[in-house]
Amino acid sequence: MTTAAGQALGDTHDARAATTPRVRRRAARHHWIVRVTHWVNVVALGLMVTTGLRIFNAYPAFARRGESFCCYPFSGKPIPSSLTFGGWLAGARNWHFAAMWLLFLNGLVYVGFIYLHGEWRDLVPRRGDIRDSWEMIKFYVFARPDHPHQGKHNALQKSAYFSMPILGALAVLTGIAIWKPVQFAPLTAVFGGYVWARYWHFLIMLALVALTVAHVVMVFAVDPYSIRSMVTGGYDESKSPEARNARPFFWRQPAAPRSGGGTNS
Amino acid sequence: MNRRRFVTFGAGSVAAAALGACDSFGPKSATSLLKFAERKNETLERWLFSNGSRNSVKAGARLSGRSFPRYFISKTIPMWDEKQRGVWRLEVGGAVRTPLSLTLDDLTKMRSITQKVDHFCVEGWTARAEWTGVRMSELARISGATSDAQYVDFQSFDSDYHESWDIDSALHPQTLVAYGMDRAMLGPGHGAPARVHSPVKLGYKNTKYLTRILFMPSRAGGYWSDRGYEWYGGV
Repeated sequence: MTTAAGQALGDTHDARAATTPRVRRRAARHHWIVRVTHWVNVVALGLMVTTGLRIFNAYPAFARRGESFCCYPFSGKPIPSSLTFGGWLAGARNWHFAAMWLLFLNGLVYVGFIYLHGEWRDLVPRRGDIRDSWEMIKFYVFARPDHPHQGKHNALQKSAYFSMPILGALAVLTGIAIWKPVQFAPLTAVFGGYVWARYWHFLIMLALVALTVAHVVMVFAVDPYSIRSMVTGGYDESKSPEARNARPFFWRQPAAPRSGGGTNS
Repeated sequence: MNRRRFVTFGAGSVAAAALGACDSFGPKSATSLLKFAERKNETLERWLFSNGSRNSVKAGARLSGRSFPRYFISKTIPMWDEKQRGVWRLEVGGAVRTPLSLTLDDLTKMRSITQKVDHFCVEGWTARAEWTGVRMSELARISGATSDAQYVDFQSFDSDYHESWDIDSALHPQTLVAYGMDRAMLGPGHGAPARVHSPVKLGYKNTKYLTRILFMPSRAGGYWSDRGYEWYGGV
């Protein structure tokens, strides 16, 4: 009796499991660890850049005293204080040397997670990425009518998201090189000595800021629907840039939501 | 308020708070967190510190010379007035077996070294000079610093300027009590008659216009360390 009832219940359960999830369940586009580390990184990078610029303003130049420096045309011009944080040199340094741990540990969690969980496969460069990037550029400048076929990210996005952790790692390494140029003299020497290591640290910051600005602009101009995927994880593929043939600021209205009828591909 | 509005409103508030924070010192409540980070950083830095580390500058490298910044906290360049204060002497005391009281002549007769090294300022600039002086480790040896000597306070006649160091950094072979700069006697703009100079500490830790070296069992803060700059200031 009980066995039969259990059997029957089990059957019903199995039957439901086989039909409902196919329509209703949608896996998160970004794992919660990716979403959390993304927003923690916004705070960490924001603090590091603004306090770093305040530190830079104590000596907004690169040359060693009594020497000249080839490659910085804005010597002696401080960064506008509205872009800085920390109030004064010591304040900014205290924030910088605290927030660096947030940036470093958060970066470690993110890279460690995508390595172990497989998301690195969405970002790692592959043969054909250069050609795909070129096709994306052609599409964006209207030299190609249809959106190139893509996976989770298009080729341009992929190269940007792949560069971020690498630039982050370089920012940390050049940072260590100028934090401890005597204790880690060999590391500082790798970057060409203290003056050059400080310059690379600055340029890497600029590259990170440029990528971040481009990223934010493109999110709003091409795929604002992806904001939700970085908050709740949800993403509607019928509104993907490819589905909307989306160029920056030019895209089709997304198709009306389909009623659940198995057309979900 | 639905979820979307909540998220939008939340993000907007955070962004507004961030913009309002521009150029500020940050919230007062963060002070204890920043102090905590500084203490943890100091532990790490002291663990990383190696007596064998060296700042090496190529023999032919250009020196900063007259471009080496002069710096002091008094209103005018501090000068030792012999008529008023008698002959300048460097006192070495505290946790030592034989306290020393050295005239400049005594100091220059001790075993000295000359080294061309970088000077790392907390502001981000560096300068190069060739320093002549007596190693701090030599002074510790001669005065017989005891095992109680875990910290060293370097005191000056530049107003109340002083900075205290951990003993390991003080005994680093490149830490000098310098009386010569660029093959000449130290000038009044650079801390004459004698100053501390070491590439293992940021500029502000390198007390100029020395009067007293005090070996101590505990730290004694410092002029800039008490005003918000990190006490350790290691390079």
